Amino acid sequence: MAGTSIPTEAGLLRRHLMLSRSASRLQRLGALAARGALLLVTCSSVFAVIFIFLFIFRDALPFFGLRGFAEVFTDTAWYPSAEPASFGALAIFFGSGIVTLGAVVVAVPLGVAAAVCLSDVLPFSVRQFAKPVIEMLAAIPSVAYGFFALVVLAPLLQEKGGVVLSVGACLAGAPLGLLAVVVLSDLLTSRLPDPSRPVVRLVLMGGLCAAGFYGLTQLVQLLLRLPIHSGTNALNVSVILGIMALPTVVSVSEDALHAVGRELREASYALGATRAETLVKVVIPAARSGILAAVVLGVMRAVGETMVVWMASGNAAQIPRPWFNVLEPIRTLTATIAGEMGEADHVTGSARYHVLFALALCLLLICFVCNLLGEWAVRRSKARLR
Amino acid sequence: MRLSTRKLLDRSFSGLGVFAILLMVGALLVLLAPIAARGSRAFVFRATVEHRQFMLEESGRGDHDAIDAEIRAAAEVRRKAYDMIARFEEELEAAGRSERRELRRSLREVKDHLAGLLGPAPGNARPVLLRDQYGQTRWDRALVGLGDFLYVTEYDYSDPSGMGRPLLVPRVDGFRGTSLEPLFAYVEQNLERMLRPRLTFYWRFLFDEGRDAHFFGGIWPAVLGTLYLTIGTMLIAAPVGIASAVYLAEFAGEGWLISLIRTCIGTLAGVPSIVFGLFGLAFFINTLGVSDSKSVLAGCLTLAVLVLPTVIRASEEAILAVPKTYKEASLSLGAGQGSTVLRVILPAALPGILTSVIISMGRAAGETAPIIFTAAVSLGRPLSLRQTLSQPTPALPWNIYNLCTEHEAVDQIRHVQYGMVLTLVLLVLLLNLAAILLRARLARRLAG
Repeated sequence: MAGTSIPTEAGLLRRHLMLSRSASRLQRLGALAARGALLLVTCSSVFAVIFIFLFIFRDALPFFGLRGFAEVFTDTAWYPSAEPASFGALAIFFGSGIVTLGAVVVAVPLGVAAAVCLSDVLPFSVRQFAKPVIEMLAAIPSVAYGFFALVVLAPLLQEKGGVVLSVGACLAGAPLGLLAVVVLSDLLTSRLPDPSRPVVRLVLMGGLCAAGFYGLTQLVQLLLRLPIHSGTNALNVSVILGIMALPTVVSVSEDALHAVGRELREASYALGATRAETLVKVVIPAARSGILAAVVLGVMRAVGETMVVWMASGNAAQIPRPWFNVLEPIRTLTATIAGEMGEADHVTGSARYHVLFALALCLLLICFVCNLLGEWAVRRSKARLR
Repeated sequence: MRLSTRKLLDRSFSGLGVFAILLMVGALLVLLAPIAARGSRAFVFRATVEHRQFMLEESGRGDHDAIDAEIRAAAEVRRKAYDMIARFEEELEAAGRSERRELRRSLREVKDHLAGLLGPAPGNARPVLLRDQYGQTRWDRALVGLGDFLYVTEYDYSDPSGMGRPLLVPRVDGFRGTSLEPLFAYVEQNLERMLRPRLTFYWRFLFDEGRDAHFFGGIWPAVLGTLYLTIGTMLIAAPVGIASAVYLAEFAGEGWLISLIRTCIGTLAGVPSIVFGLFGLAFFINTLGVSDSKSVLAGCLTLAVLVLPTVIRASEEAILAVPKTYKEASLSLGAGQGSTVLRVILPAALPGILTSVIISMGRAAGETAPIIFTAAVSLGRPLSLRQTLSQPTPALPWNIYNLCTEHEAVDQIRHVQYGMVLTLVLLVLLLNLAAILLRARLARRLAG
């Protein structure tokens, strides 16, 4: 073709415009081949997922063949290296569950409140400042969080646990308490005749504030007396996992709130609603599928996290008594896999090796279901808002 | 409800949101402050003469004569302490048998603690372990050592329900009336002259190998391992991820295959990192056999699968952000779809794609769980490029875990742990900062 000619501008032009039948067919074939190659590369994600499931299944199934299904899910005795070994992982499932629950309790209220604030309340300039904070929280490696939990937070909890808990309780209780006092005093005085109302309301507010303060001091007294035997416990891990899940929750729910659009908000304002009323009664209900997706993704992040729980959860395979006692050490699925694979990988083929793959399979299935649920929620919220 | 209350509620609701954001900022500060404050002490600290001596003898750094003079000056002050011990030992020979046994045990403790502070006493044989051949190299550790030297910790079990309460008993109490009594006051007052601390900027902490289980030296093998893993991962993940993104953004229509691919990408993003580790072990090492056991290559492959969804999603977004007019202009000039993508869309999307690659690099650098079974070991020398194909390496995330949980003397090497955490966090945050700046520039360019 034009390969022999001097590549002047005119020569280049002629080559592109040459539309002989064979050349264009060649070109079309080449384009088709390139497209096929690209599709093949794109399919590598599919292969990766298939291979992950395949290989985890392949190494997990022998365990169920060797020991059956009942033991793992119902027994709490986890002694994989004892003679005879027992593989009761109920306490481990429970540990993963309680830690995840704790992380959700920390991350969801905080994350949704922050997302609402970012999308509707704050001016643009402040938002530009808050975004990098969230990105930094998301970027910090999990092992750094784990290091903080183990080296800074755990000794603090163990030595000054009561004080730390009290500060936490005050941080959570004071703003919520104030809000409750305002609402309550208003509701109680709304029936009174006009002239006496402000006075009664002020008195009532003062009284309720005092009561709330008294309640808080009682709570602090209680917390200060609480025995904390170990700083590496479920509470420590829950708080840290909650902070790690925050960026996910904030960004996904902020997207959901953005997607609600101006029309609904403006209609609500036109009816005379304040911003808080608009948000609580209109925007958040409209975005609830998206917020559900945020919660599900946060759960996924917390369930799958390894380093923090391995380092700072205490790694005791037990169900605390009572079950909601988060000041006891626990152990999770991820930490069990990470901690015991090192000892088990030279006994490849034994139940002790395969049980870890069985646990990984459970973990994988939990995350898979969560992921499908999250995608379904996102799709539903998009469909509803259209 | 009255209007004023509604307004008040409105304002307090906004306050709640601001409070949540402030709490988040506070959490970030609380997290980063100790890491930054104590991590920097791995680089900048008051180094004693033992540190300079170690540097001179082990790696030939420093001014030979000046350090020799310092060692001599320190030895001058130290000799008095050793003289006191020698005199006391003579005294002990003359004492009664039962008394002697008790005192001799205490004396051995005193000598051990002093050796921990100042290094082996002159005239003793050179100890086997490197950490015993030198005294405290850091002044902060020396002060802790001084506390152990001056006080014995005993436990008070008077409260049977709780744990024993630690009590500090001055060690000198055991030697009242003997010739050793003045030793403790002497060491306490002259420790600074014995160790001669001086503020040092030890930037080579990054580039030195760790010696004797990280008691001395730096963290270079782990830093290098992390760099290998991060760059190797991106060399694998970036081409695949960008090609996938191009296909999804430019060529793919709406079909069952495409929606399957998208679902798979979502699923892949949701797989827990520890499962990637198991998968890497079972697939890349045990089945494909890319290396006999753990290796950097196997770790890179595993991490590449992990970051693939991040690369694909962010790159696709970057490609979709290129204005449609670019594409239309190119097509209207007669360019084919292929050359439009290669010559128009990809160059325009390049900063966005780079952003996605950089963010994924940060993710790959910080992941620990996938490399536990595939690439990481706790101790090792820096690898050459060729060795990465077959050998495992130390890596920052794994070594942080290893040093703060499994090391024999966790408390004594806190500065190394903090230094490692600081290095890793800085590496990741700098990568993210670069991404943020790049994105800001991109936004300006697309806007203007």
